[in-house]
Amino acid sequence: MSDFYGINLALSSLFAQRRAIEIAGQNVANANTDGYTRQRIEQGARGAGLVPAIHSTWKGGGGGVDVLGIERLRNAFFELRAAQEHGNLADLETMSRVYARMELVFNEPSDTGIQAQLADFWAGWHDVSNRPDDLAARTQLLERARTLATGFNQAASGLSRQWDSSLDQLETIVSEVNSLGSRIAELNSAIIRASQGGLSPNELADQRDLLVSELSELIGITVRPADHGAVDVLVGGTALVQGAIAENLAVDTPAGTTILNASTSPVRILWAKDSFPAAVSGGQVGGLLTALNTVLPDYRSRLDSVTQNLTDVVNNQHVLGVDLNGAAGTNMFSFDPLTGLSVLITDPAEIAAATAGSGLLDGGNAIALANLATLAGGPDEEYQSLVISLGVDTQVTNRRVDIQADITRQIDGIRDSEAGVNLDEEMANLVAFQRAYEAGSRFLTTIDSMLDTLINRTGLVGR
Amino acid sequence: MSTAFRITQRSIHERSLTNLSLNLETMARFQERLSSGRLINRPSDNPTGTVSAMQYRADIRRVEQFSRNAVDGSNWLGVADSTMQQVLTATGRIRELILRASNGSVDTDGRDAIAAEVDSLRQNIIDLANTKFLDRPIFAGTEQTNLAYDATGTYLGDGAPPVDPEAGPEGRVERNVAPGVNVRVNLTGPEVFGDPAVGDLFATLTQLSTDLRTNPANLSTDLQALDVHIDTIENQLAKLGARHRQIEAMRQKADDNIMLIKNGLSEVEDIDLPQTIVDLQLQEVAYRAALDATSRVIQPSLLDFLR
Repeated sequence: MSDFYGINLALSSLFAQRRAIEIAGQNVANANTDGYTRQRIEQGARGAGLVPAIHSTWKGGGGGVDVLGIERLRNAFFELRAAQEHGNLADLETMSRVYARMELVFNEPSDTGIQAQLADFWAGWHDVSNRPDDLAARTQLLERARTLATGFNQAASGLSRQWDSSLDQLETIVSEVNSLGSRIAELNSAIIRASQGGLSPNELADQRDLLVSELSELIGITVRPADHGAVDVLVGGTALVQGAIAENLAVDTPAGTTILNASTSPVRILWAKDSFPAAVSGGQVGGLLTALNTVLPDYRSRLDSVTQNLTDVVNNQHVLGVDLNGAAGTNMFSFDPLTGLSVLITDPAEIAAATAGSGLLDGGNAIALANLATLAGGPDEEYQSLVISLGVDTQVTNRRVDIQADITRQIDGIRDSEAGVNLDEEMANLVAFQRAYEAGSRFLTTIDSMLDTLINRTGLVGR
Repeated sequence: MSTAFRITQRSIHERSLTNLSLNLETMARFQERLSSGRLINRPSDNPTGTVSAMQYRADIRRVEQFSRNAVDGSNWLGVADSTMQQVLTATGRIRELILRASNGSVDTDGRDAIAAEVDSLRQNIIDLANTKFLDRPIFAGTEQTNLAYDATGTYLGDGAPPVDPEAGPEGRVERNVAPGVNVRVNLTGPEVFGDPAVGDLFATLTQLSTDLRTNPANLSTDLQALDVHIDTIENQLAKLGARHRQIEAMRQKADDNIMLIKNGLSEVEDIDLPQTIVDLQLQEVAYRAALDATSRVIQPSLLDFLR
């Protein structure tokens, strides 16, 4: 045993305490850094020499302290949960935004929505029935019919535009997913190299985990820990990121999908490498896919059905009547989902207000048309049931968002309570390590003065 | 959230922010209600209420239209009524003249003068029969014509016997004044002035004028024929009166309904002002409390107490 062994021991203590103080400093410095995980020093007592030798045995205590490593205090299970819950929340929030925009398209209840335009249209028939000879009443009716057609067409094209912009958004998000995937793969490879080289990859891992949680909001993912501190990211059971390799996703619109045929040839997400469909659920991508393939086409087809209903009931009654010139009524509306609703009649005299078999100034057919407003299963009723569905769906989605936001907040809270920095705790640690450092220094002083006694004051006998 | 977890400054900060923003969101909702004055601003605020509101609005529009239809019908009936009153005055005058002419003391010249007056009264009655309401002859049924009777007293409208305008649709003008209730608001010429095929008022008057000039002995028969016409007109006037009452009752009911439906709409859609203001104030108190709590919670740290 060397006489100077104690100095070495003291030194290890000073090193370890200083390292611990630095870690506390790093934690405090990053108290508000997004995605930062608090770190803790792992210390271990340095054991005595254990290799027995014939002429040299060790009879003293331990050899000081070793820094075994610096740990990230992160619970992988909560990370996984948080990724899932954030994915679900982003999914629901996307849906909720889609519904909110649809509510704007329909703008009910109001004095200007389709319901009000329908009421105006039916009232126009009453006016014509009151004064079948008055061209002004007929012209007014035609204007109202055109306004109504514009109202229906605007709602339909509003939904189409929303569908188109959702598709654009989906493409942007998928390219963002691809770029995040490749950055995660780069960080993975840096982490693997660092941990193989014996360096601490903690800050890299924090950065990577932040990207993973960003990714989880874009698309539903499962995260799986891999060797050397890397993680694999799976989308629908297939690897988006595996170690240092990232795959790409692409948006597919088979046969130029539009809102009209999205329910039969849906928009899909494909793997770029083999064009195999990816089973995506959750995240903004999941929400947008539901909107594109189900919600928007569904509401569009229901709106189209109301328009078709209006066209049918009005045309069927109108052809029974006789117009101001004595000719039988013709179709008033024509409707095609592609081109929209249009008013076929341009000459006000061609409005068939009179009942067949009566004089030309009869208004019986106009009254019959006005009464279609309250027809059971008529356009008004069907439109109202569309609006009630929209209201209920929106309300349900908003409630689910509220609930999911609560769950996500709780999971985030648990994760933060595990990984977040508590300043009081760090201050207490600082005090403890500072004291330990002071004590270590005192120990060094003690050894020093012992050696001083030994070297400078002993052996003076006979001097 | 349970306190079993380790609490960090960041999590307190985050939670305070979340709570503040939730509070603010509720405030914003009340503010929106107050500023728009409406409880329902979009279907998801209250889906069933939304549809009630839509139905109420459509109902208001429809019932207002019923009321307008009734007013229009009432005007038709009013014009017909006053026209027929004037016709009755004219026929009464003719009756007086005939009675005077039947008196033996009137000589041929006198009868000629009376005949001339009857002719002019007949012309007056034809003008009355061509009375228009909003540029449409009211006694011409549903025919598209400018006159109900031409200058010679020939009926130009439709709904003449054997057609019965009461059965419709020919010659029948109706106003839709309530769901499924159509009230007839016109009378055709033949209904008021008699069947042209059998001899209407105008034919009788022509006969009268001829008899005054050439065959005074026939005047009593003519008088009987005239009385039949006067009776018809009076009967039809009574019928008009009954319809007028019906249509007025319907209009009254429609107006009452409008009030009821508007109340209903207001109950579904409009805010209860005092209630909303109180709610908003309560929410404001809660928000202030949250702000206060946040400012206290974020402040202290061990740092304050270490030397």
